[in-house]
Amino acid sequence: MTKYIIQSSRIGKIGDQFIPTDGTNIEALIEGGFISTATETKSSKVKSEPKE
Amino acid sequence: MATTTYLSNPTVTVNSVDITDQCTAATLTKVVEALENTAFGATARTYTGGLQNNELTLTLYNSFAASETYATLNGLVGTGTTVTIKPTGSAVSATNPLFTLTLTYLETLPVINATLGELDTIDITFTGGTYSVSTTP
Repeated sequence: MTKYIIQSSRIGKIGDQFIPTDGTNIEALIEGGFISTATETKSSKVKSEPKE
Repeated sequence: MATTTYLSNPTVTVNSVDITDQCTAATLTKVVEALENTAFGATARTYTGGLQNNELTLTLYNSFAASETYATLNGLVGTGTTVTIKPTGSAVSATNPLFTLTLTYLETLPVINATLGELDTIDITFTGGTYSVSTTP
């Protein structure tokens, strides 16, 4: 899932996660430099099989 | 004399961007299209409500600096977005309601409107979208 990070004080506190409301044009905000994307990385830790 | 007035000083956001400090005029108009339902025997035309066709017009100082007018609007031309406006900068309340147009459409953007000796200002119009009013923060 893509997270959006605020890059301009015009839409909130810089560095905070941006949670779009209904009807928000994300592409326009990225293009205008107001937010950036931060793709969440999954842990590389592999779960071991449960011991029986 | 009017008993209650307020000094125009609205807060305006376009696509979640607070553009208040670039805005000098704003007119939000709630429109419900009139559909005529007059029939024979009537002595005057009558109408019933059709679809909403709301409109928000803004006058903005133009700026090409980062996070300013052009950066806010350029990517919105030809698309739908959400705009909000409230009468004053105070918290949303019954006496300072927040008006929202959701998925309103920006058809045109005057990129430059230059006049000798004057600041570049542009007028834009958002058309359509669902009108809603909130009185709770």
